[in-house]
Amino acid sequence: MATEYATPEEYGLADLMCCAASREVQDNEVVFAGTGLPMVAIMLAQKTHAPKLKLIFEAGTLDGRPPEIPTSVGDARCEIGASRSSGLYDAFSIAQRGYVDLGFLGGAEVDEYGNVNTTCIGDYLSPELRLTGSGGNPDINSFAKRTVFIMVHEKRRFTPNVSYITSPGWRVKKWPGGEFVHRRELYGAAYRGGPSAVISTAGVFRFDEQSGKIYLDTCHPGKTPAEIKEMCFFDLDISRVNGETLPPSREELRIIHEVLDPEQIFIPHPVNR
Amino acid sequence: MSTSKRITLQQAAEIIKDGASLTFSGFTIWRRPMAIVFELIRQHRKNLHLIEVNGGSHTEFLVGAGCVDIWESCWVGHELYGKYGANLSRKVAEKKIIVEDYSHAEMMFRFAAGANGSPYAVTQTSLGTDLHNPEYDMLGRAGLRDGKRIAKHKYQFTEDPFYGAGSQVLIPAAKVDIAVLCVQQVGEEGTVRVNGQYYSDPEVARAADLTIVMAEEIVPEEYLRRSADRNTIASFEVDHILECPFGAHPTGMFGRYDVDGYFLKDFYGMTRTQEGFDDFAREWIHGQDHVSYMEKLGWSRMQKLKANTALNYSVREKGGK
Repeated sequence: MATEYATPEEYGLADLMCCAASREVQDNEVVFAGTGLPMVAIMLAQKTHAPKLKLIFEAGTLDGRPPEIPTSVGDARCEIGASRSSGLYDAFSIAQRGYVDLGFLGGAEVDEYGNVNTTCIGDYLSPELRLTGSGGNPDINSFAKRTVFIMVHEKRRFTPNVSYITSPGWRVKKWPGGEFVHRRELYGAAYRGGPSAVISTAGVFRFDEQSGKIYLDTCHPGKTPAEIKEMCFFDLDISRVNGETLPPSREELRIIHEVLDPEQIFIPHPVNR
Repeated sequence: MSTSKRITLQQAAEIIKDGASLTFSGFTIWRRPMAIVFELIRQHRKNLHLIEVNGGSHTEFLVGAGCVDIWESCWVGHELYGKYGANLSRKVAEKKIIVEDYSHAEMMFRFAAGANGSPYAVTQTSLGTDLHNPEYDMLGRAGLRDGKRIAKHKYQFTEDPFYGAGSQVLIPAAKVDIAVLCVQQVGEEGTVRVNGQYYSDPEVARAADLTIVMAEEIVPEEYLRRSADRNTIASFEVDHILECPFGAHPTGMFGRYDVDGYFLKDFYGMTRTQEGFDDFAREWIHGQDHVSYMEKLGWSRMQKLKANTALNYSVREKGGK
């Protein structure tokens, strides 16, 4: 049966991003997800094309199968159907050991090498705004084979220099000097990969593993490559654009809004649905 | 013997002196020892050094009330009820607090080292980030790295001497005076049974020099010892116990009650300014005790949050909706 895709008036941006993120997951993968939209995306994958994915929540549940969206990774719902419920030492040990294929993360700023900031805006020693801090962002990003960032697209957030590198991209700082080197050089035997995609409110971006540079892969419906290039403070490579981001299917929308998040805790209902 | 560990809420807060280093049970907005946190604020505790695997609403109350000089952790906020820690942000901007940033796994492994008696842990996380920027060693900049309770260095870097696996990060064990836990059940001799995810509770209890456990209920020790495989922390790791139903509110407790989303949203909204925090504290903390606080919340609020005992979460409300 052919997939029925929704028309633009039937879905919102959050739905589109959630479905794009879900499609990054392959069946049987071990996936690590944080609270919010990443969690909805991963559970959507679990309920569609990747029923055997193994879901890890940072607070300490391994291979969980919650029937509906937990309100945070510490929620009682996280451990429904789980293989094991324990704590953070288990979750991070498993990640450092190399079990994790894919991590879903968020960020306030990203640079063209996929370095992400969730710590502060402005000079760290005298910041304009202190944010939440790193949480598990750098850990999941250091340990997983691939990471996908889900971000609001504003020009100031797509910047040549993030205020603080919270989470490591493809070219990172070598201390004590702070000169930029390829991630592979620094991570040695612990090197497994790095950021594989950024899904913003404007499009889907990927990284060239050799150069480590970001490029535009698909534009969300209604956006052009030139418009998206104009929405970045760095010089975005738009030479490899691969058309439009695939819209949500009607079935994906049904699962998001009727099964996973009917209370609209993370994903608002589209107006015309 | 059986009652020797029992103390009151007031005594629990009195044990924690000005300048103490403190850590807590729970995760972000779950199972935080809020009743003791409120009592610390009532007693005007000062100069605390919080060392936490992660922060949360309890951090924001202590920081907002001016109890904290140093916060060493990785994250603070109220999850979906408040996207960052407004009190911490304000105090950072005003340079009224020292923040020492580590990653989440680093903090967890620092506590694991503290818990097993190692001076440090080794990890491969966060290489190449500003977490490892030597300019951003804030306790070092403040001249506080005495090598006693605060490690001589924030990080050390080395190459794997055993298998040639490349760069390794050495992180100092967490050395903490007091762990304050909030759990479902504790026995009269101190045995702890946590239901649901135990987060980093076993490690923080073991790493701290003194452990205070506030439980929803104190139960007969022999009841817990009938199924020792279900227990989380051994009796002799716990120094003091107290019973305080709903002691984690407004944070949630697996199997007992959910996070009070309305309360946290309201708190987050008001704490954008110090005046807002002070108003909130005047209404909910000062001049109250735990019973009057619960009465002020009221039964209609509490019964909405009460967990279904088969599902372990509330079916009357979800995520504040």
